[in-house]
Amino acid sequence: MRHSRIFRSPRRAVPAAAAVASLLALSACGGGDDGGSTDASGKVEGKITFQTWNLKANFKSYFEGLVDDFEEKYPGTEVKWVDQPGEGYADKISADAAGGTLPDVVNVSPDLVAPLAKAGIALDLDQAAGKYEKEYLPGAWKSHQVPGVQGTFAFPWYLNTGPLFYNKRLFKEAGLDAGKPPKTYDQLFDDALEIADKSDGDIATLANVPTIEDFGRYGVPLMNKEGTGFTFNDAKGVELLTKYKKLYDAKALDGQALTATPESTGKKFLTEAVAMNPGSALDLEKFKKDAPALYKNIGITPQISSTGKDNMYVMGVMVNKRTKQTPAAVAFAHFVTDAQRQMSFAKKVAIFPSTKGSLDDPYFTKADGTDETRVRIAAAKSLKTAVNYTPVLFSEQMKVALRNSVAKALQGKDSPEEALDNAVKQCDRLLQQS
Amino acid sequence: MTAMKTPSPATSPAPPAGGAPRATKAARAPRAGRRVRRQLPTSPWLFAAPGLVIVGWFILYPFVSTVLNSFTDKRQLVEGKYVGLANFRELLHDDMFWIGLRNSTLYVLVVVPALVILPLLLAMLVQKQIPGITFFRSAFYTPVVASIVVVGLIWVWMLDERGLVNAVLEAVGAGKVGFLSDQWLLLFSAMAVTVWKGLGYYMIIYLAALANVPRELHEAAAVDGAGPVRRFVSVTMPAVRSTMVLVAALSSVAAFKVFSEVYLMAGPTGGPAGEDTTLVMLVQRTGTGLTGRVGYASAISVVIFVVTVALMLLVLRADRKENR
Repeated sequence: MRHSRIFRSPRRAVPAAAAVASLLALSACGGGDDGGSTDASGKVEGKITFQTWNLKANFKSYFEGLVDDFEEKYPGTEVKWVDQPGEGYADKISADAAGGTLPDVVNVSPDLVAPLAKAGIALDLDQAAGKYEKEYLPGAWKSHQVPGVQGTFAFPWYLNTGPLFYNKRLFKEAGLDAGKPPKTYDQLFDDALEIADKSDGDIATLANVPTIEDFGRYGVPLMNKEGTGFTFNDAKGVELLTKYKKLYDAKALDGQALTATPESTGKKFLTEAVAMNPGSALDLEKFKKDAPALYKNIGITPQISSTGKDNMYVMGVMVNKRTKQTPAAVAFAHFVTDAQRQMSFAKKVAIFPSTKGSLDDPYFTKADGTDETRVRIAAAKSLKTAVNYTPVLFSEQMKVALRNSVAKALQGKDSPEEALDNAVKQCDRLLQQS
Repeated sequence: MTAMKTPSPATSPAPPAGGAPRATKAARAPRAGRRVRRQLPTSPWLFAAPGLVIVGWFILYPFVSTVLNSFTDKRQLVEGKYVGLANFRELLHDDMFWIGLRNSTLYVLVVVPALVILPLLLAMLVQKQIPGITFFRSAFYTPVVASIVVVGLIWVWMLDERGLVNAVLEAVGAGKVGFLSDQWLLLFSAMAVTVWKGLGYYMIIYLAALANVPRELHEAAAVDGAGPVRRFVSVTMPAVRSTMVLVAALSSVAAFKVFSEVYLMAGPTGGPAGEDTTLVMLVQRTGTGLTGRVGYASAISVVIFVVTVALMLLVLRADRKENR
């Protein structure tokens, strides 16, 4: 028989065997081991891996100390800390999750948790560690819940929010009162048009197109209650986009806003090409160092929101459901995010703890006259009611779909209604396929 | 002890005159020699095995896997099921796919002629042996060795609304140009960067080809009264035609698969409203991340493969026709 000859002939058998061996080895890559247990009540021991996201460069000693403290508290444990670059972090997690090599404890954001929870890779902390829920701010605990999936899938870690920075010099040159920055969307749009008009279109006030969190902050309902469809194409959404179109036409929105990234908008503000930019307490130090001229004229005002609630960013610590050391992994994830450790981390960097009562610490309430403290106190106050407006199910592909639709509306290729209808249609389709 | 039965060279019969010795059964190679011959069919494969494993692992398996995935609805964290040609049917109705195909094709049509002709002209310029020419050769080659990320960032700074190019344009009273905000200007700016970065590489290839063009041909043409343009068309171009075909083939495949230049200049959305997206950018955007659609991205990759193979065949076919 012809087929059997292939394998009888040594000339063909060797490469065939090599190919089969390779394919078998490769096919094993995709196999994940469900392993592990959801029971975190056992003895805390064993070796676990903890993965963070772009933290080693600035906080190496903090995390090494954290690991040492944990190992000292729980003899018999060993924590291996790995830090991945921010660029392509989602792809790295994706590859590890698909290959069954995801670390035991992983630093995640809510949008990364959602697909992992849906795929059954994230441990449900309501079941495994529900006793710790009361330690955290309720909004922060809920931030890692996924519509359509029962449970909470990461310990809330640090929170961040920030004010709106503005350039007093540019405000003054446009004849505006630099001591009275805009407080409402209407005032913001009026001031932006004024600055563009006075500078003959040379100075824009904003440098980025509206994102999903902008729609949320404007009071646009983003998703239905069941989490099965997006709703940001309602009348309020159309109203916001229509106003942005007016800004774009008047050059009050930067000409390169359609392709802008957070980094490029930050650079525009730093070089005084735009008059306003959202930021955080972290930015003040950067202004002082990189743009002293701007720092002299920096104005700080609260975020503009129609809902009365600021936007906040949440970071979390997830436990891999497939870990072989569930008690140690859960204990370590809790250890990293407990009130003491979060407070200590917050004092090293301008972030905010997600644990109950921490924001009442004098560090976040007592003014000392400096801008840094003023920003910190204002942000800490706003965090008590702040909301993470970005839905956890809003993926990167959806962000691009919304952004491209918004760009079409701003260019006048689609009306704001058509653009948002189209964006919702695309996002719904992506949601169904996820 | 008995004497060895193997005949010594001195006692062996002499080979027949006028030809190679004809082996008889008795005179065939000794036992050790037979063993070596038996190993021959397998041993080359053993030497090649490491290479074969690497090729199989990193080239064949991903290729086969991509083709197989293109017929599934596989996602990053979810094993897909067979969906037949559904992904390819969806491509036909995906506006972004057609935008990507348009931009990638346009890239080939603009970049390839430029990369076939300009490096040749440049190579002819720097071929001359004059003092300091090595400096110019190195200078033209520098963009080739520079990182594409660095190159992309430098060009973004230069073409920004407040960048060097616009400052010069404003200084001469021409006004600002939206190189990075206009859909077409952005794409053509990215093409200019690709050409700028590729010039030195293809120049080196042409320099090697030009070194083999006999000087006598140029001298004879000059004696016959041919000017520089005539000599270029009638002597240089035919002499380096096969190199031009090679450059056309290489640059057309690279141009169709362009990613970095456009990604760095147009941003992750692919320019305003995604209008500058190329096919490879679409693969990256669609197939990566935790919610990436691997099956669909694989279908786009298969289309890219088919088109690049078709491009190669087209160039080679045109060359064959020319040869006839």
